[in-house]
Amino acid sequence: MKTLSLQLGKPSWRVGLHALILVVASTLTSQAYAAEKLPRLANGKPDFSGIWQTTSAADYDLEPHSNRKDAPPSAGNVEGNLIPYLPKALEQRKKNFEARATDDPALKGYTLGAVRGVYYPEPFQIFQRANDLFVVHQFGHSVRTIYTNGTDHPLEPNDWWLGDSRAKWEGDTLVVDVKHFNGKTWLDRSGNFHSDALHVVEKWKYLDANTIEYKATLEDENVYSKPWTLSVILYRHREKNFQLIEDYRFTLDYDEYYPPKRPANAE
Amino acid sequence: MQTNSSIKHPLASLSNVVAGCLLLTPLLGISADQPAKTPPAKPVAATAGSTQGTPNPEVARWEKEFPAIASGKWTGARTADGQPDISGHWSNTIANHNNFTDPQGGIPHDPNPNRLAKGPRNERAPSRVSDPADGQLPLRPWALEKVKEFQIGFHDPKKPEYIEPLARCAPGGVPKTFTWHGFEISQYPGYVLFQFNSGTRIIHLDNKPHLPDYIKLWNGDSRGHWEGNTLVVDVSNHNGKALFGRSGEFVSENAKIQERYIFDKDNKRFNYVATFDDPEVYTRPFTVTIPAKRWTAADKTNGWQFEATIANHPQGKVFLDREERICTENNGGFGLGARR
Repeated sequence: MKTLSLQLGKPSWRVGLHALILVVASTLTSQAYAAEKLPRLANGKPDFSGIWQTTSAADYDLEPHSNRKDAPPSAGNVEGNLIPYLPKALEQRKKNFEARATDDPALKGYTLGAVRGVYYPEPFQIFQRANDLFVVHQFGHSVRTIYTNGTDHPLEPNDWWLGDSRAKWEGDTLVVDVKHFNGKTWLDRSGNFHSDALHVVEKWKYLDANTIEYKATLEDENVYSKPWTLSVILYRHREKNFQLIEDYRFTLDYDEYYPPKRPANAE
Repeated sequence: MQTNSSIKHPLASLSNVVAGCLLLTPLLGISADQPAKTPPAKPVAATAGSTQGTPNPEVARWEKEFPAIASGKWTGARTADGQPDISGHWSNTIANHNNFTDPQGGIPHDPNPNRLAKGPRNERAPSRVSDPADGQLPLRPWALEKVKEFQIGFHDPKKPEYIEPLARCAPGGVPKTFTWHGFEISQYPGYVLFQFNSGTRIIHLDNKPHLPDYIKLWNGDSRGHWEGNTLVVDVSNHNGKALFGRSGEFVSENAKIQERYIFDKDNKRFNYVATFDDPEVYTRPFTVTIPAKRWTAADKTNGWQFEATIANHPQGKVFLDREERICTENNGGFGLGARR
């Protein structure tokens, strides 16, 4: 009742000040509370261990789009809405879009790539130690290593499907520098793409103990006119006994041939 | 079982010590050994022991016998959550997956005589089947026929089932992954993670129930716990598809598998000892034993057992990099004529 009278009563500077103090105090408390409750490793760094997944429609199409027969509508996940393609690359992206029902590499069960793996609609699990994070994707059970041991990109790199990820901490944000990609992965099933010149800077940050904000800035002089940034929110799977279930989808074409079948009436 | 005893072929002479012998190097030189890792853009041919025609002596240094390791107390270092700390890089010490019961004997019926082992059986490593004592799998007659058929068909795969699934980039499965390239083990509260050259296994230590039986998986669903120096893992939901190797043995999807990873007191070796119970395919349960040894930054990368490399650290601190494991994307269908 007291609260009600405060809200409905005649406003005064004193009530306003009290309310302000209350708001400030509760904000501080909740921030402090959130900070206290973040999972941390023994070295004090945030511990992202757990099973994560986005609820966004990012994998259908990163850019804003109306509903389609093969995609729900979405306001998009790109800052500034559109990916700044170079003219020639935009033509390629349109071709990819037209051929998406057959040409999306994910349809073959191929490793999704460092960025797409994060928002593909299957869970992934982070196994974290002081010196590294293993990101195990349910899809393909592919494993991406993010090194936090002070090492730099290799001097003699390959072009990797998942790139090479070297990270450092900026406060409680994990900043990951990823390069040495091949140009064979797509960024979503609508045909957004990159070349092997892709360079990504990711920022992983807890919003609370069960929510990660993921941002990735992509630059690629062969494909984009300027760097651009996408972001998704990742939620922790908290269902009882939830676990990854290996999804080696690329084996489905020959699954039926194994193991040998017992003939009828065999002993 | 004493830690100072060794496991060898029953007829092996006492003079056969655990020496690394240069043995059957061509076994690693056949085409199906090539893929499974590096992108074709830049193969690590300089160090890869699996590269065709250039067998690497380091890689071929296989043991003919290996120490038994008794289950018992763990006296070594522990992780923060109390597990024996066995994290690191490991590889089996006797052979690849060419032949399950005569690991150093070559692929059964290999048409290239240079790749078949010469000399008496007791000069080679023992069968991976440690029970029954004769080293043979107690296959039911129908299953034995299927294995024999595979062993012939393998060399000219006219039917899709004659292609060894690892050659199609399928996960290695249980127990074959332990005979195919080195692997990394890492540990976390509630988990042991195995990263194989071909596939990944998450061992859950928290006693959660297994997945519903309707779900079948190449690597199965694993629940583990520690008993002293031994990681005991119960594997269910196994799909039976991976086969045991190029010799074609298999279990059904209803096999019950219990694995025991027994680590020695020096934390340099473990023996993988697994019992398989599968009445559909076998007349009795059997036990498989596969030895493994640890590899560290002090060892030379050899492209097979030990594939990690020294990372690029600005101050020269020693850390190991391990490349992504990509197979089907780089190779499509391949292996001894197989094409999807």
